[in-house]
Amino acid sequence: MTLSPKAMHRRRFLTLGASLGFGALSAPHVARADEPVLNITGWGGKWGDIMSSDIGPAFEKEFNCKLRTDTALPFLPKLQASSRSAPIYDVLHTNSNEQWAAAEMGLVEPKVDPKLVPNLADVYPYAVSDKIVGVSIFTSAIGLGMRTDKGFAGITSWKELWEAKYNGVRGGYVIPVNSLGQAFVMMCGTLFGKGQTDLDAAYAALEKLKPIKLVDFTGAMEKLFLSGEVCLGVIHDSGIYRYDGQNQPIDFVTPGEGVLSLEQVLAITPGSKVKELANAYVNYMLRPEVQKRLAETVWYSPANRNVKLDAKYDARLLTTPEKVAKLIQVDWKWYNAQKDEIDSRVNRIFRA
Amino acid sequence: MAVARTNGLALLLLPSALLFALFFFVPIGLMAVMSLLTGNPVVAANVAFTARHYLRIVNDPYYLEVIWTTIRIGLWTTLISLLIGYPLAHWMARIRSRAGHAALLMAVLAPMLTGVVVRTFAWMALLSDKGVINQILASLGLTTKPVQLMYNETGIVVGLVHIYVPFMVLTLTGVIGRIDERLEQAAESLGASPLRSFLEVTLPLSLPGILAGSLLVFALSISAYVTPILLGGFQIMTLPILIYQQISANFNIGFAAALGMVLLLVSLLLIVAYNRVLGLVSGQHELQ
Repeated sequence: MTLSPKAMHRRRFLTLGASLGFGALSAPHVARADEPVLNITGWGGKWGDIMSSDIGPAFEKEFNCKLRTDTALPFLPKLQASSRSAPIYDVLHTNSNEQWAAAEMGLVEPKVDPKLVPNLADVYPYAVSDKIVGVSIFTSAIGLGMRTDKGFAGITSWKELWEAKYNGVRGGYVIPVNSLGQAFVMMCGTLFGKGQTDLDAAYAALEKLKPIKLVDFTGAMEKLFLSGEVCLGVIHDSGIYRYDGQNQPIDFVTPGEGVLSLEQVLAITPGSKVKELANAYVNYMLRPEVQKRLAETVWYSPANRNVKLDAKYDARLLTTPEKVAKLIQVDWKWYNAQKDEIDSRVNRIFRA
Repeated sequence: MAVARTNGLALLLLPSALLFALFFFVPIGLMAVMSLLTGNPVVAANVAFTARHYLRIVNDPYYLEVIWTTIRIGLWTTLISLLIGYPLAHWMARIRSRAGHAALLMAVLAPMLTGVVVRTFAWMALLSDKGVINQILASLGLTTKPVQLMYNETGIVVGLVHIYVPFMVLTLTGVIGRIDERLEQAAESLGASPLRSFLEVTLPLSLPGILAGSLLVFALSISAYVTPILLGGFQIMTLPILIYQQISANFNIGFAAALGMVLLLVSLLLIVAYNRVLGLVSGQHELQ
């Protein structure tokens, strides 16, 4: 069998075209093949927007690497299922309760080395306290959110959430799946019992909190506040302050008993192949300019005490040692050890 | 020649057999194994066999209540879908006009053109305390405080029925359409009323469709996650919600796997029982 010159010409042309196409498509990947990749977790929304448009690219440029962010919750089961020696993430970003669970399972390193993360020297003590795995880069204050247009003014205490006038417009979280809900259980123990670990007092208080509308994450609670379905409920300050300037009839209340700390924590996985880069990322996220940019975008209180926020943010966020002293940190190690029992009990309490 | 044809058929079946093995039997097998282990053997050392996950389910009445709630929601959804879907399917199967049939088909399929999440949020906009229905009732002076239309099992069943009625209708339409109309005409010519003709001819002959549609709707309802969680306001616990909670927040894969196996077992038992009862009622031995 012989091929005509015309057929040969066409075949060569097709082969050449296919090769060029393949080359064009693969060129960027080949060119970046040597670039180290740092796998991290992160939030969506405004946090995700600014990370992908500004802060992430700046890190990539400075450290000549690729930052790959997973924003699809839940993170910990994915890390749990991946190999210890080649974990799916190099840096895990979650709230503190999940970091403690990860540390207990050996999935993250319990502490960050100050020699490798020099900015650690500038953080508030709460960010590296014995209640924290890794380092807290930001915190929010868990308190009460309220509608300002329904005649419910002058709220000063957590205990007002139990008042009968809020029946039908009271909001809280699904405790087994939400950090705010879990922290609130500990607050109930403090308010009505001997302290954070007084679970019997907490259960009795939760029982009296019904009827209550429950949500699984802050975004859903914000919607309930905006629609007026909830007029007084548990929420963190960022969930209210982010509507600043939008003329919404909602406000954040700092109860006299104190606010609970909702930390944004970074921890490094022991099996990471790019430990140097992972530490550089943690250090980068603690830089004052990065902290300021993120804090003023998402209304999180920066952990670095050298950050100077604009007046509007400075007035509301926890930016001084005196304000930070109001934060109540939760003993998540203890909580996680009781989690099965607590979940089983609160699921019963809140069933319809 | 016959051997070659058989080999050819076997080759044709190979892709679907591999697909089933890879995406059905292997995951279920893994889930069954995980439900009997103390941890994940791939990443943890000293993993042993245990029955503790199943004992936890059996010994705690809460989990039995969750199983019963899941089954109850599935049964109500199936029954209401059947009651709504059967007349519609009968109408679609018997309508003479092609345009009418197309219009009905579009009406049945239209809800399926939007996602489950969107449809559930639409129901929330209707049923919530500040929703359309409560606002209308309040503006007409019929209620002074919101009627609780969601955050309960009724809300969940309403949402699920809306989602799964098309599955019932489409399954039934094909079966009813294949029933020879002359059988009904013969019954009526022998003096049976239209109702008796329906009850004694059409209904028994459409039982395979009722069975298939009911099983489909029941299986989908008991494994639904989005609708029960949104319309139940996290206050109605079903097995899929509990399974997700165990994986995402408690990181207890073994217990989640055990709950998954229980869900599978419950479905299988109910399907077998339903099949037998329907077979006995209809006298169709192939269903028993």
